[in-house]
Amino acid sequence: MVSSGESVIRLKNIYTAYEGAEYPVIKDVSIEIKRGEFAIIGGPNGAGKTTLLETINGMLKTTHGEVTVLDMDVGSRGRDIRKKVGYVIQNFSFDPMTPFSAEEVVLMGRYGLIGPFKKPNEEDYKKVSDAMKLLRITDIAKNPIGKLSGGQQQKVLIAQCIAKDPDILLLDEPFSNLDLLTREFVSNILGDLAKSGCTIVIVSHAFDALPDTGIRIIAMNDGRIALDETCDPGEVENKIRLVSGGIPGA
Amino acid sequence: MLEFIISNNIVCHAVEAMLFASLSCSILGVIVTQFNVSSIGFTMAHAAFAGAAIGMFLGVNATAAAVVAGILVAILLGPVAEYSRMSTDSILGVFFGMTMAIAIFFIAYMQYLGKGMSASALLFGDVVSLYREEIYALALISIISIIFVYLFYKEISSLIFNRKIAEASGISVKPLYFAILFMIAIAVSLSLNIVGGLLLFVWLVTPAATAYQFCNSLKSMFILAPAIAGVISIAGALAGLAWSVPVAPLTAIMITSVFVVAVIISPKRKISYSKGY
Repeated sequence: MVSSGESVIRLKNIYTAYEGAEYPVIKDVSIEIKRGEFAIIGGPNGAGKTTLLETINGMLKTTHGEVTVLDMDVGSRGRDIRKKVGYVIQNFSFDPMTPFSAEEVVLMGRYGLIGPFKKPNEEDYKKVSDAMKLLRITDIAKNPIGKLSGGQQQKVLIAQCIAKDPDILLLDEPFSNLDLLTREFVSNILGDLAKSGCTIVIVSHAFDALPDTGIRIIAMNDGRIALDETCDPGEVENKIRLVSGGIPGA
Repeated sequence: MLEFIISNNIVCHAVEAMLFASLSCSILGVIVTQFNVSSIGFTMAHAAFAGAAIGMFLGVNATAAAVVAGILVAILLGPVAEYSRMSTDSILGVFFGMTMAIAIFFIAYMQYLGKGMSASALLFGDVVSLYREEIYALALISIISIIFVYLFYKEISSLIFNRKIAEASGISVKPLYFAILFMIAIAVSLSLNIVGGLLLFVWLVTPAATAYQFCNSLKSMFILAPAIAGVISIAGALAGLAWSVPVAPLTAIMITSVFVVAVIISPKRKISYSKGY
């Protein structure tokens, strides 16, 4: 068990490359992220932000370096780590006819924790209900996920990760389908989770609705960390712009 | 097994064979169709088809050869897709073409050698000349399919919903995927003699596609698809034997006809005006 203030994510000189690629996407990255920190990973398109998230939860293998999450080595215990780490994927799209309700999808977040040969119990259903209440999506619980709006689907996926009671929450563009008010609402939920000890790591390009807390910016450019500091929410956008060279989509 | 209901041995065997083949194929067919990779079913069916043709040509047990070929393709699929850095669907296309070519080659060669009659059973099925052991094996794989889906329902549903989300939640995605491939390989190989290599995917795809017209949940599809396939297959076996027409083609036509009716009357395409405009 990692206590408050201790590093829950440790990356040491890591390189991550995709199969067949000539160069690694992430180059010589070293960072430590502590329990309860609220970190934003920013930077231009193709900087390696999503690759960094998937390196942290072990879905992508490093070609060099050490990754330790919750005191476990990602290479050998990736699946155990993923049971304790929530990951909201970007660019999801679901078939309108997919035969799963929003509630079933939220419950899926707990399947890894429950383990094989076991059925979800009362506690699992309570966690699902609590997460859906927190995101205010109980009214769409029985609706097919494929027929919900992009914003509702986004909230369902965030609820799915919260329902697993994660120690770390990785979110890839979680605000992309949300309007400003909903962004503020979700952002405050994430801020509260961070205060309760859950480490939040967000890849985002939307900085207009950040929670009122110290934000750690990890700005990436060309696979390397270009900036790593803690600042107020209002300063985040300007600092990321500086790293991106002020060029949209650079 | 069903002699206490059907006294005629030939009819009894035919009904049992059609029932168990339809149960195992349609249960696994729900997974195949919901994965949106019906090509897995086609490729497995043709791998078994090619294996049986080779087995028949070499004079060994065709069913055993079909099982071996099916499992071999299941083993090769993942590593070949990874090594060639191509999508599984493209690799399935390559295997599909290759196994079809092997099957046609051996069947044509057997016809040239005067063994064409026995090869035709591989194409269109033969419910009458089955060994009791083959029916027992089919019953066993049907039971295993039901237990497999029951035990791993949550993992299977998560995998069907989104492979990446399933992996991120801590599910062992790869072993589960290969287990599904093995189950399909064995079920289609054992069903090959009964429904034929050309008709096998009717049992794999159409009952699940029919159930999909009425079901909004995966659980209900796993119940309705084998129910539809089982009832029509029994009816097809009884009708085919009574009217002396080929059982598997007749049943395939019946299953497809039910699918067409299901699409027409499916509530999924209806728009409700009851709660305003």
